[in-house]
Amino acid sequence: MFESVDHVERELASHQYICDKRIATVVFLAEKLEKPVLVEGPAGVGKTELANAVSKVTKRPMIRLQCYEGLDEAKALYEWEYSKQLLYTQILKDRFTTLMDGASTLREAASLVGKEDSVFFSDHFLVARPLLRAITSEEAPLLLVDEVDKSDPEFEAFLLEVLSDYQVTVPEIGTFEARSKPIVFLTSNNAREMSDALKRRCIHLFIDFPSREVEEQILAAKVPDAGEALIEDLVRMMQRLRELDLKKTPSISETLDWARALLALNANELNEDIVNDTFNVILKYEGDVRKAQGELTKLLEKKSPESPTNAPENAKPDAPKKGALH
Amino acid sequence: MQKKILEFADILRKSGIRVSTAETIDAFEALDLLSLDEREQFRDTLRATMVKRGEDVPTFDELFDLFWSGFYDSLRDSFGDAANRLGDFGVDLDELLKQISQMLEGMDGDMGDLSELAQAMLTADLNQIEQLIMAAANAAEINIENFLQIGFFSRRTLEQMGLDDAGGELRDLAAALEAAGMDPQQLAALREFIDGLMDAARKSVRNFTERELQKQNHDYMEKFRRETLLEKSFYHLSEEEVRKMREVVERLAQKIKNILSIRRRRLNKGKLDLHQTLRKNMALGGVPFNLIFKQRKKDRPKLVILCDVSSSVANVSRFMLQFCYSLQEAFSKIRSYVFVAELGEVTHTMEEGDINEAIEEALEGGGVINVYTRSNFGHAFHHFWQNYLSAIDNKTTVLILGDARNNYNDARAWCLRDIHNKAKNVVWLNPESPSAWGFGDSVMDRYRPYIDVAEECRNLRQLNAVIDRLIL
Repeated sequence: MFESVDHVERELASHQYICDKRIATVVFLAEKLEKPVLVEGPAGVGKTELANAVSKVTKRPMIRLQCYEGLDEAKALYEWEYSKQLLYTQILKDRFTTLMDGASTLREAASLVGKEDSVFFSDHFLVARPLLRAITSEEAPLLLVDEVDKSDPEFEAFLLEVLSDYQVTVPEIGTFEARSKPIVFLTSNNAREMSDALKRRCIHLFIDFPSREVEEQILAAKVPDAGEALIEDLVRMMQRLRELDLKKTPSISETLDWARALLALNANELNEDIVNDTFNVILKYEGDVRKAQGELTKLLEKKSPESPTNAPENAKPDAPKKGALH
Repeated sequence: MQKKILEFADILRKSGIRVSTAETIDAFEALDLLSLDEREQFRDTLRATMVKRGEDVPTFDELFDLFWSGFYDSLRDSFGDAANRLGDFGVDLDELLKQISQMLEGMDGDMGDLSELAQAMLTADLNQIEQLIMAAANAAEINIENFLQIGFFSRRTLEQMGLDDAGGELRDLAAALEAAGMDPQQLAALREFIDGLMDAARKSVRNFTERELQKQNHDYMEKFRRETLLEKSFYHLSEEEVRKMREVVERLAQKIKNILSIRRRRLNKGKLDLHQTLRKNMALGGVPFNLIFKQRKKDRPKLVILCDVSSSVANVSRFMLQFCYSLQEAFSKIRSYVFVAELGEVTHTMEEGDINEAIEEALEGGGVINVYTRSNFGHAFHHFWQNYLSAIDNKTTVLILGDARNNYNDARAWCLRDIHNKAKNVVWLNPESPSAWGFGDSVMDRYRPYIDVAEECRNLRQLNAVIDRLIL
């Protein structure tokens, strides 16, 4: 249980998840209001990681449901275990015969068997999938519905019942209600706009690329071996890279990968050679790499680009390129 | 407070952010849990509960500033100015007030005799002043629509507030204090202070009305623009408008992707796959409990675009290329060609480059064709027929963008006939209206038999209609 927003922030930080007030406020509210959180933002800014961290902080077991196109009820909610049912029927064949002994007509026999229906449609033969598991779990878990935007619109309908009432209805058995309400995180990369019905039930959190200070803190927490100078260089460069018009803007997970890669290469600071060699860790498209290489000197400058000194000298070399014909 | 939050929700709605009642209730519940002292926390709470789309966050932030804080800050500034005037006389506000109340006691009166407003102003009770201004604005029934009304509503609010009366009271107070023998130095300071207060109050009311206008009309210009943009012909677009248009196009492309995804799911179930079914149900004693169906082939349309980039339709093709660029993700295969008289492939340019560069390059012929000739559709089609006919199969939709103004050259309609025979669909989007087709040097009528869908398409609304037919 969290006492305050600051408390959330501290707890998350102690589990190496550095966040700003905004994220902490939402987590705090989600826990207090018992509402699911819809987390949106570019890929790799730590949406899934947030759920991970919260599960650690609250000591709830995490149940993860990865969404994909074509995900259906049987994979997400529950499924009857047909083979087991079949096997049991085979084994219990004799019992059935004795059960039906007293029946003189087919109709009577059918109704006798019908009375035993519930044997076969009980918890015993039910395979619980993530959503049902989250509801029936003894300890209140943390349910992470990852990349919910990848699922089909119909799937949202199943989610609605789970998210608003924390219950799951299985027609043959009845309704399962959550013993203790789970904390629910849904993440989305905005590949598809979620329905208003779903959004209405959620608290919304938009995680954007972190500010310079936050990113430095994250690096320091996650890659403690990296020196202060390297972290500063790295973050400055990443922040500038994000301002370029790239096909895939590198996010915090790329920064971390890069820091680790540089450590593995024993680099203590950034220079042109090492950056050129390791660009493909952060940039995932050939075009992006080329574009960034073109801007490399500017990206590597120690001072901020606004400062008037030493900018012109560095920027010159590739200026005369256009207008050769005119 | 409750009322203010409801009002805020209303303003969000006016700016196009969907806030349902349930979400407002969430906001209230959330605010109960938190202290309202911290501004950032308050803002975060409202944002998390009321705004559910990333794109709406900037609008929310702007409105939040406008609604919740700005006015109090400006109030503090203007009344702070008034208090500073006292400083010029070397008089402290608190001491002055103490002195006044002492003197008033001596005259069998007290501050309570003054009107609420005069009191609030004299003691610089900003909260009270804010309340009074808002009450007055309410009574004045501010329903402001354009900036010409600012003066009018400001005056009305001032009247409702009774500022002139309050000013009179304060001046009377000063006169009474003078009669009671107040120190001239202090008296002068007091008079100056009163003038300052009156100025500050007027300024604040005007400021309040201006804000009211901004709140009501935030997004108004934006909406107006978008509406007119939809109707606007592609011929007349400025840079800025092209950018806006791009946003709308991207939204459209997204919509198409959604439709495609649903359609694919419906098509997913094909014939029963006997082999797979038997294999899968071996564990169940060969009883076919789980049926496996053959997956139908994903029917993602292929698209071949022939885009006229001659100067007469330059602005249309710019937009069309933009549209195609956005569609690239939705369609599994897209090949684009540009032509004037010669024809050249620009698929690569479109795939590689950033949208603006790609379009600019395509408009200049992608380095493969000369764009400074006169358009010749027949020649272009013939060229396509000779070199690229293999790009077309029975899943391909051929999209031709151009005005079919052939400069009296040979139309060579048979090329288009062959293309039509091979392709699934031939769609022609013509910026000219159908009544002009076939007149003058237009050869649209010659091509018409080989076109499945021929549409006039000059603006976004028309394009919208075409898209439905193109996909479904």
